[in-house]
Amino acid sequence: MINLKINGKEHNLDVEADVPLVWVLRDYLGLNAVKFGCGIAVCGACTVHVDNKPVRSCVVPVGSLKDKQITTLEGVESDIAAKIKKAWLDLQVPQCGYCQPGQIMSVINLLETNPNPDDADIDDAMSGNLCRCGTYLKIREAIHVAAESIK
Amino acid sequence: MRDETSIIGKSLPLIDGYEKVTGRLKYAGDIPPLQRMHYAKVLRSPYAHAKVVHIDTSAAEALPGVSAVITHKDEITGKKKTCNSPWHDFSFNFRGPMISQEVCYVGDEVAVVSAIDEDVAKEAIKLIEVEYEELPAIFDMEESIKPGAPQVHPWGPNALDPSVFEWGDIEEGFKEADHIIENRITMGNQQHAPLDRNSCMAHWEGDKVSIWTSTQALFWIRDAVTEFFELSPNKVRVHSTPTGGSFGLWWGNNFMFLAVALARKAKRPVRLILTRDEVMTTVKRREKPLIDAKIGIKKDGTMVSQSYRHLMDNGAYGNKFDPYQSVADIYTTKHGRAEFIGVATNLLPAGCMRGVGDLTLAYAMEQTIDMAAEKIGMDPVEFRLKNHWQTGDICHTSQEVLFAKLLFNKTPEVELTSSGLAECISKGAEKIGWKDKWKGWGKPSSVDGHKIRGVGMGISTHISGLAFFGFNGITLKVNPDGTMVLTTGIGRMGQGGDTTQAMVAAEVMGVELEDINVVDGDTEVVGHTMVTFGSNGMHMVSRATKAAAEHAKEQLLEFAAKELEANPEDLDIKNRRIYVKGTEDVGIELKELMSKPIYEYLAAPEVIGSASKGVEFHKAGKMMMADFAEIEIDTRTAQMKVIKFVAYHDSGTVVNPAVCENQVAGGYYQSMGLCTTENLVFDDETGAILNPNFMDYKVVGPMDMPDPEIYFGEVYDEDGPFGAKGIGEGVTCAVPIAISSAVYNALGVRIDPPMTPEKILDALKSKGR
Repeated sequence: MINLKINGKEHNLDVEADVPLVWVLRDYLGLNAVKFGCGIAVCGACTVHVDNKPVRSCVVPVGSLKDKQITTLEGVESDIAAKIKKAWLDLQVPQCGYCQPGQIMSVINLLETNPNPDDADIDDAMSGNLCRCGTYLKIREAIHVAAESIK
Repeated sequence: MRDETSIIGKSLPLIDGYEKVTGRLKYAGDIPPLQRMHYAKVLRSPYAHAKVVHIDTSAAEALPGVSAVITHKDEITGKKKTCNSPWHDFSFNFRGPMISQEVCYVGDEVAVVSAIDEDVAKEAIKLIEVEYEELPAIFDMEESIKPGAPQVHPWGPNALDPSVFEWGDIEEGFKEADHIIENRITMGNQQHAPLDRNSCMAHWEGDKVSIWTSTQALFWIRDAVTEFFELSPNKVRVHSTPTGGSFGLWWGNNFMFLAVALARKAKRPVRLILTRDEVMTTVKRREKPLIDAKIGIKKDGTMVSQSYRHLMDNGAYGNKFDPYQSVADIYTTKHGRAEFIGVATNLLPAGCMRGVGDLTLAYAMEQTIDMAAEKIGMDPVEFRLKNHWQTGDICHTSQEVLFAKLLFNKTPEVELTSSGLAECISKGAEKIGWKDKWKGWGKPSSVDGHKIRGVGMGISTHISGLAFFGFNGITLKVNPDGTMVLTTGIGRMGQGGDTTQAMVAAEVMGVELEDINVVDGDTEVVGHTMVTFGSNGMHMVSRATKAAAEHAKEQLLEFAAKELEANPEDLDIKNRRIYVKGTEDVGIELKELMSKPIYEYLAAPEVIGSASKGVEFHKAGKMMMADFAEIEIDTRTAQMKVIKFVAYHDSGTVVNPAVCENQVAGGYYQSMGLCTTENLVFDDETGAILNPNFMDYKVVGPMDMPDPEIYFGEVYDEDGPFGAKGIGEGVTCAVPIAISSAVYNALGVRIDPPMTPEKILDALKSKGR
């Protein structure tokens, strides 16, 4: 049994310690906003927060998460997150949408830690999130719009 | 004539945007498992070509938790015994049997297992004993078509019959020319590389099978399963979910058959989700081209003749032999010839990927055009303005002409309905600053120490759908509160097709986009809809959507006419209200009309609009594009970077500017991948793919390229609904041309994609830099 704190709730799960977090979130808890993409921490589709920092859940074994707060897009309720989602909708960022939960989790952390990011800060924060549809142009715009609306 | 519109032309938000930004949109892999469902794993061939001489599955079958094992011995063959047939096959990689005794590429299916979970299925796969007899394998297209070459697969010859198009007199054409330019091009192997993975869940209830899969080809999958398993369409129900990016990857594929067959044998639901490695090595890739181009021009730059021989690597089971999308027609010449030959190799099957056909052939044409223009010292912009395709010209190499010939033995003419090329070329040139930056052929626009810059440009075109994709059956139902339900089989792969179809309905019905609820993705609920590829959504499917809405509107106006004691012809709808034209204060809210009982029936009206429309192929509306690039090469590192990129495109009326900009940007990033880092690497010895992951097959990330500048020409296509043409695929086509041409002008050396630092280094060395 492993005890995990996910989206503010405790879960006791019968799972091996070396299972990557992404599968526990998706298969055990049905948190499907967490997407599996590459399995090697290259694409960012599986990004979640562990103690408020973005991590790639496809390479994090659940055994390493004792006493840590895990947050998925389903569990984010901050005003910042709401503003980001609004900017995403207003600017029509998504195409297929598959990478967007991971993108948004990275942006939430960026704007929580740096409310005024410039383009270089955005590149730093977002360089690990791939989008095969090529929504990069709109993502950059939307981050600026979201940052402005949070002020 | 341009329409007055209130919805069309606005960047209205995606109707599924909320699901996408909250992560609630369900792709096939997110659909909850069915009760008693098992999971499948595939045993794949380690050899590029071999015969399975012995296979023992007894240990796998005996493993607790295993419900079914299928091998070639199950003899699941379908009716068709060959893959040597035209591309309008429903299934992309149709071979003879579902699992063949002769495996034809590394990754080909040898056996498939279903078990209680993926771990047990994997364990069972390991317990299968296989003895192979290796057969000679061919990895090279030219080797494959040599007489006496070993056969790639048992399901047809190595090369399909060529499809040939001729107009004028090609020999005469070259005699008329003052200069003849010949050129050969090839490219790397691009893969679709979506972040999502292909997935299929199948479940039999009695003799009826239901399938859940991410696809844009709802009805082709139904028809492929119907044909392969010899069922009535009444016994096959396909549920399609949105795809996590598609770019051509998600239609009829053998893995879907595997799930269907396993579920039948295991007598329980079975889900097969491919691994990342399998997505990249066992589904498909873009066809690798080998093209010989020949162009004849007059001294003044007039093109008189053009000929192309396009070999396309189909891999083990790809089955293309056709001219794709009229690409040889970007330029109007009196004489021409185009020959297309699909060639089999013992490599991963190849097929459609975004911009298929135009991307490869336009690249070959445009490089050769550049060489021709250089020969007479003409500016490439000027050359293209002089020769480009124009409204009313003939589509000599149309796929539709080919199909008319195959199906009816007729050779009709197909006429181009609109061309915005003149505007795209001239305005795009202004946007990039062509006059200042163009310094002549093979000459950099600037040199600053170790940094050399060059500019280049290219044009292309692409279909806005193809008539033979079929009829579209669409319905629009009006609810008692005036909201509406649109049923359509349009695919959802990020192109916003559900949103833009709903916009068409809302425009006709005089309501808001939010009033339209789109129901899609179920063959038993929606009418037959064209497979969503070839960019047919807006130009072709919308015709039926518009007609269904007009049908519903007609019914509404008749009910309203009674209520308002007016003639239906005197009424119209706007802002959710039906009114008398000329006296707008007389009218009735849609909601009131739809919820109010009518005396004769003692009931409120029911309104369902429907339309089933095919598309006549004699006219073709094609999208056009002119792309311009400024690149910089660092002579110390041989790295190429893009400084500025201008995309000036004609898709007719821009129905939703935000959606269309997204398409153009996406096409740019993907094609930039093809130009630089994307290339599946096949092992020379074994034919295995060496880089099936996102670390070694690098798609373009957010920091790799500058954003493109995007513009749309002001074109109204008389044949398209509201003047619209397609957009999704052609956006990729001109990018490699512009980049390669810019690299040439910077270095004085022509390099084909992928333009890697190694190739650039060689080019620099050859010029003594």
